[in-house]
Amino acid sequence: MDFSLSNEQRHWQETARKFADEEIRPISLQRDAIETARETWDWDIIKKGSKLGFRTMAVPKKWGGHGTDFVTQALVMTELAKADSAISKAFSQNWKWSHLISHACTEEQKERFLKPFVADDTFLLGKGITEPGAGSDSRLPPDDPKFGLKLKAERQGDEWILNGEKAYIANAPVGKLFFIDARTDATVPPKQGTTMFLVPRDTPGFRIGKVFNKSGWRFYQNGEMIFENARVPHANVVGEVGGAVRKAGGRGGDTTGGDLFGDLELCSSALGICADACETAMHHAKTAKQGGQTLFAQQIVQLKINKMFMLTEALRSFVMRVAWEHDQKIHSCNAGLAMNYSTYVVQEVTELYMDVRGGDGCRMDHHTDKLCRDAIIWSHLAGDAVQQMKVARRLAS
Amino acid sequence: MYNLHLSAEQLEIRDTVRDFVEREIKPVMLKADRLDVRDRSLPMDLLDQASQLGMRTLALSEDRGGVGADALTSCIVTEELAAGDADIAALLSETSRLGHVLFDQVMTDAQRDRFLPSFLENDRYHLAVADHEAGDDTRLGVNYSRPVAIVRDVKTMATKANDGSLVLNGMKDCVANAPVAQLFAVEVKIAGQPGTCFVLVPADAPGLAVRAHERPWTHGPCGELELKDCRVPADHLLDEKAGELLDHVNISSRGNPLFQALNLGIARAAYETAVAYAPIRVQGARPLAEHQAIAAKLAGVAIKLEVARASIWQAAWASDHAEAYADRSLSDLPLQAITQVFTGEMMLEAAKDAAEVFGAMGVMRDMPLQKYVHDARVCLHTGDGASDAKLRIAEAIFRYRRPSDAMPRAAE
Repeated sequence: MDFSLSNEQRHWQETARKFADEEIRPISLQRDAIETARETWDWDIIKKGSKLGFRTMAVPKKWGGHGTDFVTQALVMTELAKADSAISKAFSQNWKWSHLISHACTEEQKERFLKPFVADDTFLLGKGITEPGAGSDSRLPPDDPKFGLKLKAERQGDEWILNGEKAYIANAPVGKLFFIDARTDATVPPKQGTTMFLVPRDTPGFRIGKVFNKSGWRFYQNGEMIFENARVPHANVVGEVGGAVRKAGGRGGDTTGGDLFGDLELCSSALGICADACETAMHHAKTAKQGGQTLFAQQIVQLKINKMFMLTEALRSFVMRVAWEHDQKIHSCNAGLAMNYSTYVVQEVTELYMDVRGGDGCRMDHHTDKLCRDAIIWSHLAGDAVQQMKVARRLAS
Repeated sequence: MYNLHLSAEQLEIRDTVRDFVEREIKPVMLKADRLDVRDRSLPMDLLDQASQLGMRTLALSEDRGGVGADALTSCIVTEELAAGDADIAALLSETSRLGHVLFDQVMTDAQRDRFLPSFLENDRYHLAVADHEAGDDTRLGVNYSRPVAIVRDVKTMATKANDGSLVLNGMKDCVANAPVAQLFAVEVKIAGQPGTCFVLVPADAPGLAVRAHERPWTHGPCGELELKDCRVPADHLLDEKAGELLDHVNISSRGNPLFQALNLGIARAAYETAVAYAPIRVQGARPLAEHQAIAAKLAGVAIKLEVARASIWQAAWASDHAEAYADRSLSDLPLQAITQVFTGEMMLEAAKDAAEVFGAMGVMRDMPLQKYVHDARVCLHTGDGASDAKLRIAEAIFRYRRPSDAMPRAAE
């Protein structure tokens, strides 16, 4: 057992902490307060972060990225999310899909897509899975061909013609390249009949619809994608036709791809929020007064603070273990379990934080309210129960 | 004797309000552009209609022109209104509650003659009590089970002018209903007198300025008052028992749990929305209602709602029947504080579980679920909070009696 970090890992962690403190935190609440969903975005912070490597850190060095390991990604994610988990997600969304490009795309595709991604500070990636009629169904695809994704891709010579809609897609309004899951065979269950395509933003027949107006994670943009006879070259098929689900990290498939990092991403992001809540709650408890004494003088406050730190540190251990296992190529369900656990922890810890903070008469502190709103998102990334059952079924298989 | 029947009149009132909520309130308040928790503008037309149905003057006695609803009936109405909209429910419930306290219990005949006719005539005549100032510390907290008197330092002063009228100076904060109230009961200190008293201040009194709080963490409109040489006639001074009656959570924590009924209404709205959606949304090749994971979750929400309602109704009935405490029919614990903690914690869980059924739509600002979760959070974290209520319950459990010569606590 060795919990020490390498110099390189520590360096990334410190750079991330500095960027989070100096650049992200100062704009966090201000961006959160913007009323119009489309306007919360700020390219400036993306460009600054990109220059420090936070956009491309998961791209292998061979392709011009930083080739960081999973432990480093978890550390950086935690530091960035501690300042604002919505801003950090705008960066880490790219790590997931750059993992996918590196592991699932051909050399020719990498040449076409990974190179421009690395070169351009405003090149962001996204992946379209969820549809208005397929939320949980994209996490636990049903065996009946009638259900699941509806977005259809039909082959026409060297092209595929895509028709349909995606909803709630992260980075859709700001991304330049998307992985799109589409049904290429409607007669078989979605697990077998789905193909993944690389779809650039400027693809004819493809456009972005509304930007969803979320109660939390305000900065980070989720949008609608509309495909009306969108023409995608066959050369943009990722892996083989009908292989989308497997490529995304299904058992026996690419287990270091997007899906697996998705779980690690979410639990380290939750850890960042928890760390922020713990630190701020402790500061508040030691400075705010009630009845002439600090709040911390009260046993009920000490118990709440204890629970916040206990859950947060347990989550940290779990997150780092999962990151380490990924780096060791140990395949397990732990990432999924850590993600499930983080949903519980991030909501419990932020609620305790609100409890410690209490209302100030008829007002609530903006930061406290924001952390609670951000934390609620975890049970809506499909649905908490669905995410738990998904992992249980993986454990049973 | 144990009787859970509602009277024919209570059932009729409930049906009337429920029908009004379905037909009038929901179609307006569930429109996408009204669901943003940051926009709390009031639907004045709906409030007028509600007033005409008697909901503004609900608790005022029949003799004086009200509906004469008791505590239980008032809770039933508040729950129904809150199932439609928490702000409407909060505004009407506060005016109704204060209407009863002010006109039935504390005003002199002369005061009543002056203000009651306008209160009855004007559908937009709302009431407010201004008993909070910035920096007030009303929590028991660190003084749990300690002989320290919990007294607030009221800074708003009233002095007597030469012509006998009262001149008020000071600031009040977090005044529920302030932006729409026509009449305020303002807590003041009178120089040279111990304790505090309440003074009636009409909204148009010279020297009174009312400002609405932007995005308050409350239900219903809320604001602050600035009193600058605000002058009212000497006979606007209220009887000394007004303080205890006007207080939302009265000293014994045995008052009417109206705010808890509001909390229940919010969670019920979330539940009903989820129950309506679960049979029609198909995922995993079946309607959500046919999945154990969702079914068990919604059953859990139903359990919380039923138990919360039972505890609210018991506390409401008890607040009108002090004799049931005296003859040992009821536990001697503060039932209002008990239901406050239970509903606060349970209703937030209920709203969150109901919201989860909607997947991503559960967090969207143009959908109602995020509003219900927010509204439930507001209930849990307004006032002194659940932790403080638990300490008050604990003092009752251990029969702690604060000595009458308790020292005032140190200033912060």
